Amino acid sequence: MCLRCDLTRRSLLIGGGAAAAALATGTAQARIRPADMVPLIGPGYRPTDKDEMGLWKEMERAEEEISGSNLLIDDPRITTYLRDLIGSVGGPAAKDFRIYLARIPQFNAMMFPTGFAVVFSGLLLRMRNEAQLAGVIAHESGHFLRRHQIRSWRDMRKKTDIFAIGTMLAGIGGGAAGVGVGDYVRLAELGTLLSLFRYSREMEAEADAIGAKLIEQAGYPPVEIANVWQQLVGEEQASAAYRRKRRDRGYDLFATHPAPEDRMVDLRADAAEVTVPGKLYDARRARYLDTIGSIRPMLLDDQVKLNDPGASEYLIKTLALDGWNGLLRFYEGEVWRLRNRPGDDVRAAQSYSAAVVYPDAPADAWRWHGIALLKAGRTAEAKAAFARYLAMKPDAPDAAWVRQMAG
Amino acid sequence: MRKWGLSLAIAASVTVGGCVQTRQYADVQFTPPQGDYKLLVLRPDVSVGSLTTGGMVEPRADWTDQARTNIVAALRAQQAGRGGKVQVIDRRNELAGVSPQELADIERLNAAVDNSIVLHKYLGEYLPSKRGKGLDWTLGEDAVALGRKTGFDYALFLHAEDQVASTGRVVLGVLGAAGCLVGFCAPNVGGANQLDYASLVDLKTGEVVWFNVVQAGSQVPGIKFGDLRTPQGAAQMVDRLLNRMKPGAAIRRAQGSR
Repeated sequence: MCLRCDLTRRSLLIGGGAAAAALATGTAQARIRPADMVPLIGPGYRPTDKDEMGLWKEMERAEEEISGSNLLIDDPRITTYLRDLIGSVGGPAAKDFRIYLARIPQFNAMMFPTGFAVVFSGLLLRMRNEAQLAGVIAHESGHFLRRHQIRSWRDMRKKTDIFAIGTMLAGIGGGAAGVGVGDYVRLAELGTLLSLFRYSREMEAEADAIGAKLIEQAGYPPVEIANVWQQLVGEEQASAAYRRKRRDRGYDLFATHPAPEDRMVDLRADAAEVTVPGKLYDARRARYLDTIGSIRPMLLDDQVKLNDPGASEYLIKTLALDGWNGLLRFYEGEVWRLRNRPGDDVRAAQSYSAAVVYPDAPADAWRWHGIALLKAGRTAEAKAAFARYLAMKPDAPDAAWVRQMAG
Repeated sequence: MRKWGLSLAIAASVTVGGCVQTRQYADVQFTPPQGDYKLLVLRPDVSVGSLTTGGMVEPRADWTDQARTNIVAALRAQQAGRGGKVQVIDRRNELAGVSPQELADIERLNAAVDNSIVLHKYLGEYLPSKRGKGLDWTLGEDAVALGRKTGFDYALFLHAEDQVASTGRVVLGVLGAAGCLVGFCAPNVGGANQLDYASLVDLKTGEVVWFNVVQAGSQVPGIKFGDLRTPQGAAQMVDRLLNRMKPGAAIRRAQGSR
């Protein structure tokens, strides 16, 4: 039940290889209304059915593994913040959730069947305010509140059972009648697979709907969660355009998640439905940026090193819609510098010189600004920039070299 | 005539349909622990599930707990027979003097090393540099440090997974067998399956000194190969997996030449 993952899709394709014949497929799905999405569990939920208890048992070990992973960012301020956030948009299970932040520079978050969530650091980079992050977390909470994991497991079990029995009976029937039924069996298998994927997309749509409701109740503007998808579509387009490829639009019978475009449209409708006219909403942008401020340079650094300049540039520009600062300008320069196409050195130099104007310019901005000045033959200015770098970062690993350059 | 055909088909599928395989590797200098030694068993990884009609594995908490209890009891009995003192750790915070993080690191390192052993010893990606060297893998200094801190001589890592064919799966197999009467013969849809492996690490040297895999499976649902949920089945598994430890090649040669 992750926000957007291929892993589930792959496992569905492999696992569903032996799957059953409920042929209710089709691409168009009616929007699920937030009002219909009531939580199916209360506080302190514990499973009582055998299959769900088995699932929980497996997950206990998974959680022990994840909670002790060295990929986790355990900055106490940020982890407390995330816990409080899921506590405010987690509906009836708010107190039961656990949330872990993993240092993986990708847009993703996932909820496990026992109520612990993993958020990727790439998500924190992309969110422009607390409302957007709350929206994603509320979506994940929705999976737990609507008991999606056990429901989709049961759906899969039922359909594979039907398919196995159906295939066997068809084979025996065909054997008795003396006809080959192989083609029909393969058709049934495809039908089963498609219906499994459809079910998965339906769950995602449910989570989107309940998520919109939850963040509205917590006082966030519900439309922000639709903006998250708009940003994602934009980022994917920019990334593909740079690589001269067409973006995979995700309109696919084998998709586990609805296409981002469809999600965006549905989410806007959801938002309009749950928004209470006259009520004051707050996206809490300042509080969000203040909280993640300590790790934001790391998040940007991880992103620009992905070697995906199309996406990185789009991301930085999107974040800058809320105002440029030294950090964003510096990493804009880093995108150009690492891309290194003809003319990029000039663009990078411009970004660095723009970055150092801001009081929050990182030390490295001064360093690269100095190098660019040196290359342009502006030695005196370069020395001043290097001096500034050394003043900010006297223990830098390259301090000796810079000192030499600064002469 | 038809009755004969059915029983013949089942008999034939039984002979081709199920087997127990085991293959062990040991360090060339390995001698199975004997006498007064201390063995640390780190979080035995046991999982028992039900094989659904459609072929999926549904984990079952109660069965897993039963199997785990049985396996631990069988392991204690088996090790006591060899003279060893055993401590079984269920949680990472249960080992005095060692932090959960250190234990997690050892477990992850071991998992990576085990993967490598399986890849290069069992799955065919043989390494020329390790030819004739028996089992030539080590967990290094971390394992030695663990031994020094805790006083254990060996650490045992154990994994057991068992899938019990559900009634539906057995029915499916019976249907498949019945189909033989009309010429659609498919009794071997796949049934109970068990996979166990264990690795023994010498905490004085850090080396993985012994590794064994047991695989028991049946193509025909309804045929059982030692059910881990029963004490007998667990004892049989521990016996298959651990009781037939062979010394390493160098030791065997030395014994042979004596």
